[in-house]
Amino acid sequence: MQPILKLSNIKRNYGAIKALRGANFEIMPGEVMGLVGENGAGKSTMVKIISGFDSGFEGEYLLNGEQLHFSSPIQAERSGIAVAQQELSLIKTMCVAENIFLAGDSVPTFATKKTLAKNAKPYLEEVGLGHVDPLTSTDRLSIGEQHLIEVARLLAHDPQILILDEPTAALGETDSIRILNMVNRLSERGKSIIYVSHRLDEIFKISDRIIVLRDGESQEPRQASELDVNSLVELMLGRELKNMYPKRFKKEISKPIMEVKNLWPDRLLEGVNFNIYAGEILGLAGQLGSGTGDILAAIAGSTRTRGGELIYKGKTFLPKSPKEAIDSGIAYCSDDRKHDGLFLGRPISENLSSAALKSISKNGIRLPKSENEMVTENAIKFTIDPSRIPQEAGVLSGGNQQKVALAKWLAIHPDVILVNEPTRGVDVGARAEIYQKLRELADDGAAIVVASTDIQEITNLPDRVITIYRGIQIGEIGLEDMSAATILEEITNPFNEKGLQGDEDL
Amino acid sequence: MFNKVKNWISDNPDLSFAILLSICVYAYFGLTNELFPTHRTGFAIMERFAVLGLVGLALTLCIIAGEIDLSIGSNAALAAVITVRFTDSLGAPSALLIALLVSTSIGAIQGYFIAYLRVRAIVLTVGTLMLLRGVALFAAEEKTVMLTDFRVPDFISTKMLWYFSPASLLVILMFIIVGLFMGYTRFGREIYAIGGARKEAIAAGISLKRPMIIVFAISGLCAGLGGGIIGLRSGTAQALGLQYVLLAGTVAAFIGGVSIMGGKGGVIGAAIGTLTVNFLNTGLVFNVTPAFMVQLYLGILLIVVIMFQTGSRVFDENQRRKQILADADNLAKQLTKRKQFLKERPG
Amino acid sequence: MSNSSSVVKQNFIHRLARDYSPLVLIMVAVFIAIFVIGAATAPNFLTVLNIKTILRDAAIVGIMAIGLTFVTLSGNFFLLSMKETAALSIIAFATSMSAGYGFELSFLFTMVIAMAAGAIQGLLIGLGGNPIVVTLGAAGLFFGISSWWSDNLVVSFRRPHGAEWLGSGSFLGLPNITIAFIIIAIFAEFVLRRTSFGRQVYLVGSNRAAGRATGHENLSMAIKVCIIASVCSAFVAIAFSAQVSSAHVNYFSSSFGSSGDMTIMVIATVMVGGNSIMGGYGSSLRSSIGAVFISTVDNMMVLHGYNSGPRVLAVGLMIVFSIMVFALVQRGSRSVE
Repeated sequence: MQPILKLSNIKRNYGAIKALRGANFEIMPGEVMGLVGENGAGKSTMVKIISGFDSGFEGEYLLNGEQLHFSSPIQAERSGIAVAQQELSLIKTMCVAENIFLAGDSVPTFATKKTLAKNAKPYLEEVGLGHVDPLTSTDRLSIGEQHLIEVARLLAHDPQILILDEPTAALGETDSIRILNMVNRLSERGKSIIYVSHRLDEIFKISDRIIVLRDGESQEPRQASELDVNSLVELMLGRELKNMYPKRFKKEISKPIMEVKNLWPDRLLEGVNFNIYAGEILGLAGQLGSGTGDILAAIAGSTRTRGGELIYKGKTFLPKSPKEAIDSGIAYCSDDRKHDGLFLGRPISENLSSAALKSISKNGIRLPKSENEMVTENAIKFTIDPSRIPQEAGVLSGGNQQKVALAKWLAIHPDVILVNEPTRGVDVGARAEIYQKLRELADDGAAIVVASTDIQEITNLPDRVITIYRGIQIGEIGLEDMSAATILEEITNPFNEKGLQGDEDL
Repeated sequence: MFNKVKNWISDNPDLSFAILLSICVYAYFGLTNELFPTHRTGFAIMERFAVLGLVGLALTLCIIAGEIDLSIGSNAALAAVITVRFTDSLGAPSALLIALLVSTSIGAIQGYFIAYLRVRAIVLTVGTLMLLRGVALFAAEEKTVMLTDFRVPDFISTKMLWYFSPASLLVILMFIIVGLFMGYTRFGREIYAIGGARKEAIAAGISLKRPMIIVFAISGLCAGLGGGIIGLRSGTAQALGLQYVLLAGTVAAFIGGVSIMGGKGGVIGAAIGTLTVNFLNTGLVFNVTPAFMVQLYLGILLIVVIMFQTGSRVFDENQRRKQILADADNLAKQLTKRKQFLKERPG
Repeated sequence: MSNSSSVVKQNFIHRLARDYSPLVLIMVAVFIAIFVIGAATAPNFLTVLNIKTILRDAAIVGIMAIGLTFVTLSGNFFLLSMKETAALSIIAFATSMSAGYGFELSFLFTMVIAMAAGAIQGLLIGLGGNPIVVTLGAAGLFFGISSWWSDNLVVSFRRPHGAEWLGSGSFLGLPNITIAFIIIAIFAEFVLRRTSFGRQVYLVGSNRAAGRATGHENLSMAIKVCIIASVCSAFVAIAFSAQVSSAHVNYFSSSFGSSGDMTIMVIATVMVGGNSIMGGYGSSLRSSIGAVFISTVDNMMVLHGYNSGPRVLAVGLMIVFSIMVFALVQRGSRSVE
């Protein structure tokens, strides 16, 4: 049997960055191919090339044996390749049927909602939502169901190859199982599925074969049955990367700088309790959707909670706004710097001073000399080129942007620094620099809490790790027990079960 | 039966509120002024509806699409001038047709640029409002244009079926056609999509150009028809006139249930909203209220509607939060069994 | 820091050459050509008197545009109630003057009312209300209140009333209103560039979520900028009232100036200057220049002997043109990413 899709020797550069260096990809009809790799390994680039969103690549692209080079995603869609992005593109104000038939050649010009509902039924069945009324408003469905509707919309165009990019990233367990069942059903019907995910447990449950990307290069596809978590992680990580992380030493136990008591952000299933110590980097490990980010946001006053408090600097309280947190010396960097970590249209200097305007002003008037001094100093501390300070933050690379997003907090001299995904979208060089800075800040006396879904990062950076699984605090792992395997097990399968399981039979 | 009504009300809170408001306003004026609930008044209201209804419809569509057309008044005034100027020489139907062609093209061109330049309509139409006013002044040669033959105005205002006239019937027909278009075609759905969730709509493959051009072309058509009707009905046209329609039309649209965030609302709401504003207008005139007070009441009405919409949005958000918390609790119950296992595990 | 300034200069020229598509450059070139020709062929264009006239005509709209710029820069769009705030203020001022309270007290009284009007709108907007809808409603409300307060009549007060200097006085050969325009323009630019508050305006306008994350909430910002805009409207209203010793709610209404609706003129002025409607980019200086620019175009048309029709047309054309150019520029710079 020939592969339905075969990409060979794909090279793709973005300026100086080599995203793909001669990587290969293939998939058989009816096969589920897992695609895994670290952040920056080239997964999203590969997906963009396969789905026609990126036409600037070199290499061979064979679909059904035919040599092709798509110049737009619409062409790829017409040839039978559909991709479900991580971000939903559903119109929440419309009903399910309308969302399924929104754009494309298969949408009827004149149709009542009832007609659309009737036409939608078979596609809903296919994704396992046969019980959902197509006339329901989309925002009434759970996020998982919404993801399935997105796939139903793609199925209406009758694709041969379906790419699912992190389909269960924000999903709870029930919904994730729905997705996995759907993938099984579709592959039985002969569709090929490319399943891209960080969730290694799911990759094993669902894939026939697995392709690993690392540093822009691909490994030979391996049978999923031949691999296990350990060997997969080894393939993904590689040895030379370990040099990026600063050395860690066992810390003396002292009094905690902050005690987190029964903190219960909305999405968690129960309150969490833990301590934060000065001079230490604490890691919060958990898969996407487990709630680690919510915990940080709650400490920083940035999200709603059902309750809980912090014992910090002699006070017992919970910040109700970011301003309160900042005034108490708590700095918080979210996982989405473009959304709320940077002022992209403003110069870097303004970004760096944005949290501490009071300290560079006197009687309301800004002192440019003070600002320049502080900003240059903090830029240098984070290895940002000071001559670039007048430039807009938006022109920087991902790595430099992240450095700016972090460096701006130096200005408030924080005692507690909370960072969610410190190196998302950051190249290898900048990652090493960021890790070094975080360690230095800890050594200077700050308490740092890092939440990350990157296995390598959460295994090698923190001094201590607290594990979270689907909104429940599982346990704590100290330096001596810390390894990728132990962490992975606690955040993916802490109850030690085998196979696809759910409390309901779906 | 009662349950069905209750369900409908909770499924359509904005429309229900609009109907309620409409009835209240009508009742207020009907009860305080005996001249109000008569056939003649009804006719006057429908005559007003002919013009304001078109503007309300156009603005409803624009707001559904996530934009607004500030130039609608100027477009209408231009159409009025063109219609009146050419009626004597070319006859009313041809003159009206020319005016409609001009106004619709103007709308379509605006829609095209809004999509192509990715500029917000509110920004562009600030400029076109003034531009079209200048064109209207130009076309009217600085004076008030007048008809010499008054047979056409008389025909347009002929009373039919107690309340209606050819003009208002034509407008009702427009409403029906546009309503069917918005509710039952893919083009209409595209308009809802780009309004309610523009980023998602574009990600889902909808091109911005088509719905935007359609929406603004319809807006232009409505403006042209409204201006033409007013011109023919009164026999005169002023280049600087018809500026009040923007506020009245916007209030009508909001009463009818559009959301400032786009993607919500409909033709029926537009009709009810316009009727409510008309009730208010006509009622106030009957009570010999000075014109400036009308603006005050419209302003208050708008604020009331916005407060209601904000209130229901806050309510929805609270419901959503409750849903999230309930989901979490459900999940917690499911996992209690497994948690027991965890507690019993050594280490 | 000469190093960074030369880096900035280099960057600017780089960007100019690289980002701006040929279409934009052609449009700008055509526009400059038309402008220069128009100026060269207009009789008496470059005389001192004419320039003074241009500045004076730009002053009233310009001062209000400067106030509105703060609102736009902070990401809160526009106030559609500038005209009505001015109407409310002018009635307040004239009523107080005619009741004999003298200039200082009347000034204070008017300012308090304007600040309250701004604060209410700012509060509603800061709590999440859409600026367009809130200010549209407020506009109707203020107009109604002013009309009711003045019974829709002209309110006049007798000379001498102590405010002549503001309305019709002059200083160093320029009418005081022009001087006020210049002073306010300079002061506003100073606030935006050199104060901590000004910096907050840009930050919150550039990214509201990031502003919140760094401790700058939009609630207090919206209130402050709306107060600034309202105060500017009030100032203009007071100056105008002082000039004509009277007030009527319709003084600022539709037939204001040759180009009509004051609210539209003020908004257009802010846009013509190149301020981004999304906030976080631009300056009050740009709005001031925009005001002078529009006034210049209008002035040129008058000198060429055109009636109001072509004048409105020309101003409208220029506004649409500037909007399109700036939109193209922003679209171009976005596609570079």
